[in-house]
Amino acid sequence: MSDFEENQSLLGEDDARSFTGRRTPRDPDRPLPAICDPSRFLHRVVVLGFMCFLGFGSYFCFDNPAALQTQVIQDLNLNTAKFMQLYAWYSWPNVVLCFFGGFLIDRVFGIRLGTIIFSLFVCVGQVIFAAGAWVNKFWLMEAGRFVFGIGGESLAVAQNTYAVNWFKGKELNLVFGLQLSMARLGSTVNMNIMGWVYSKMADVFGSTGYATLGASLMIAAVTCVFSLMCALVLGFLDKRAERILQKEQGKTGEVIKLTDVKDFPLTLWLIFIICVGYYVAIFPFIGLGQVFFIEKFNFSPAEARAVNSIVYIISAPASPVLGFMVDKTGRNVIWVITAVVTTLAAHIMLAFTFWNPWIAMSLLGVSYSLLACALWPMVAFVVPEHQLGTAYGFMQSIQNLGLALIAIAAGAIVDNKGYLVLEVFFCACICIALIAVMMLYFVDYVRGGELNQSASARAKLQKEATAEAEIKRCTSKQTKGELARLAPMSAFCLRNRYLSRLGAQLPDHCSTHLSSLAYRSVLK
Amino acid sequence: MATAMETRCSRVWSSFLFWVLGTLSQGLVGGAASYTRQLSVELNPGAPSVPLSSELLHVRAVGNNDTLHFLFSSQGAPTLLLVHTNTSSSTVKVSWPQFLARNTSGSLRVEPEDSILYSTAVLFSRLLEYDDVNDTATPTSNFFPPYELQNFSWSRFNLSGPTALVCGADANFTSGSLCLQLSVFESEGHGNLWPRLLHSANASQLRVWLDGVLPRADHSRFLLELQAVSGAAPLSRVDVHQSIDDEFTPSIFKVSQWVSSENSSSDILGFVQWKPVAYRRPSPAVEDATPCRHSDPRAQSEKAVAARSGLITAFFSGGEAVGLNVSFGLAGEPFYNSTKFLSWTALVGIGSPPVDSFSPLVLTIMAVCLGTPMILLLLGGVCVCLHKRRAASETAYEPIN
Repeated sequence: MSDFEENQSLLGEDDARSFTGRRTPRDPDRPLPAICDPSRFLHRVVVLGFMCFLGFGSYFCFDNPAALQTQVIQDLNLNTAKFMQLYAWYSWPNVVLCFFGGFLIDRVFGIRLGTIIFSLFVCVGQVIFAAGAWVNKFWLMEAGRFVFGIGGESLAVAQNTYAVNWFKGKELNLVFGLQLSMARLGSTVNMNIMGWVYSKMADVFGSTGYATLGASLMIAAVTCVFSLMCALVLGFLDKRAERILQKEQGKTGEVIKLTDVKDFPLTLWLIFIICVGYYVAIFPFIGLGQVFFIEKFNFSPAEARAVNSIVYIISAPASPVLGFMVDKTGRNVIWVITAVVTTLAAHIMLAFTFWNPWIAMSLLGVSYSLLACALWPMVAFVVPEHQLGTAYGFMQSIQNLGLALIAIAAGAIVDNKGYLVLEVFFCACICIALIAVMMLYFVDYVRGGELNQSASARAKLQKEATAEAEIKRCTSKQTKGELARLAPMSAFCLRNRYLSRLGAQLPDHCSTHLSSLAYRSVLK
Repeated sequence: MATAMETRCSRVWSSFLFWVLGTLSQGLVGGAASYTRQLSVELNPGAPSVPLSSELLHVRAVGNNDTLHFLFSSQGAPTLLLVHTNTSSSTVKVSWPQFLARNTSGSLRVEPEDSILYSTAVLFSRLLEYDDVNDTATPTSNFFPPYELQNFSWSRFNLSGPTALVCGADANFTSGSLCLQLSVFESEGHGNLWPRLLHSANASQLRVWLDGVLPRADHSRFLLELQAVSGAAPLSRVDVHQSIDDEFTPSIFKVSQWVSSENSSSDILGFVQWKPVAYRRPSPAVEDATPCRHSDPRAQSEKAVAARSGLITAFFSGGEAVGLNVSFGLAGEPFYNSTKFLSWTALVGIGSPPVDSFSPLVLTIMAVCLGTPMILLLLGGVCVCLHKRRAASETAYEPIN
């Protein structure tokens, strides 16, 4: 309850601050130059730069194993199952941490210290990971990935909190979009550059081997150090802005109540199944992709890394466009079905044909972006707002659990049954998602088709709802403080709030209630 | 009412699904009942005692109306001879004194002679070793003197059922040995060890491995020289086929087939088939796989080939000889020195090489995965229709109330 009060006051104050805050520098006699003035656009651009690079290191290093798959397997003499443990160990801490990331930032560390701590975790994790490779101790590498995982997801939450804190009511959608693009850029650059770094290191060392691998990963760790420095600078700038503008520290505003789980409707459980079934067929596949393209399609390692990164490259520009499209048309369930079926087709293509994998991977990139745009906002339609934090936390948690388990299973399948069976297995996962989304369609249809409304129908409903709310508000003005807390947000507000989490481009006036409940998976 | 109907519906549907699956898997997997042969194994047929390194194994595989004779000998370089006859009563005759003298053609005959449809022999002639200093895996220079397999001292055949094992060592080996294992099969199936090639009753499997032999350089890589002599059409070309199915040999999507045919369009008479992979450990895991490549087949002098093998001298008079090399390892792959073990497997058979098909596992998963959403679509459609109709009838009755 106290959480809720805080959020309310925060939201209210913030709107006011965006207008009044601009004119309150500490010393009115000596105006700061624009680049140093926290209330000016130019200064925010500088902050934005640091904000974008804050996540760069973790995104860059997350897919290090995928980019160096052949080298990791060969230098450390691993099998694929062991290799996939590196991804599983990243996911394990997040099965639990999804529920606490927001809490830690809001209540324990505060945004500034929290960001620095999470960056430190990322940094230390990557260094441990690299050191493990250096001394050829695989358990140390796993430990490194675990520590890296502790920092990684929570850092994404912190990054978005900063974004909301600095850009709410201003260029927030653009900022989310840019952060998203930076995340993609980090992954893409990693995929395409690590092979080159490794070969340079091999020249330096005179041979390939685990020491070369360790050195390459240490170089990758430089991006994490860079991100840590961004966190420090950002912390300093935020503190300074707080002093000058007398504003509050940013909050995630996330409320997690695990007992809410028992109240989750059937449709939400179906959405969870879709989420797990779908994402486990994407990320572990990308983790294993490089060797698959080399072995099956005779690609060179560089080419294989490039085709593996096309999913990320496509989703950078496609996410805002598709987000806009879903936004304009509504009918989320149909879009999700389309995305799932397209992904299934792409996996079937990879499994049963020798067609150029650029086709299948591009399809995968588009459908994956479409799914993110259509699936995640649906959660906001099926649960009341006060349960949203729990719902998203839970969704992420089981997604991470699924990713960890399936990563291990996928590695074991490749080792024992090969890539055909692996692809068939991924098809099976997608089919589970497909069955779930079809059931969602029917259940929703029987219950009145709320989820699958077209945008115009939704707008109409929302108009009625706002009109009703307006009337209510007028009639009970004296008890506004008490009632406003209980009054549900309009569907319109909810929708925009969660669409903006995806970095979907909304007109600025729509995003009045922006929350930073943005997680890595949403951004992924 | 609706729920009761739904459950009954789903029960009907699920039994239907199982029926469809059952027929599907029967039709695609069990339906192609594989051809079987009766095997009888005989060591040194008709000889009381045979000196070491001159043994002859004869496996007679009798089909419905034909016979395949597999003859495997360690006299000289290890050689496998396949003779296909069109009667189920053909026999092998060996005149041992001449066979052991290794100088007369016709000392080993398959009778009746005019029943022979096709004959081919494959021998492992040499083991080549080169020092790959720059790790390029291109065997062009830095060769060590080759090991001639005809000069190896071979052990006696170790028989277990239709499987024979023979190991040999060169005089220069300080340790280790080169072993060959021949397996002949009654029916279709997959081997137990990777690469788990699909064999049929018309093919035998040869596994060659080098175990514990000390390399002559730290960066040594090996090549194996194969030679083939055929009665009719020589094994003239190597086809490399792509296969989407790597279930039995994880991450290998190619099959190499060294085939003989009168001309490129006609039927294949005989073949040597392998997957381009060798393994660096005796019981391999997927990370122990190392790719291998083959050279183009080249014509050889039949005389020179026959001089290496007692079996070829004894059976063939004339015929065409072809040879090729299989080289193990690619640039960047670990050297032989890392495990001191290398194994490679090939099938030698007659007729067209066997082609892998999807396993029941893959077919079942795909059928269930694609079938369930379809069924759900139908079921859901029906339920939605019912729901709609019920809703419509409810509203229709409303005015009466």
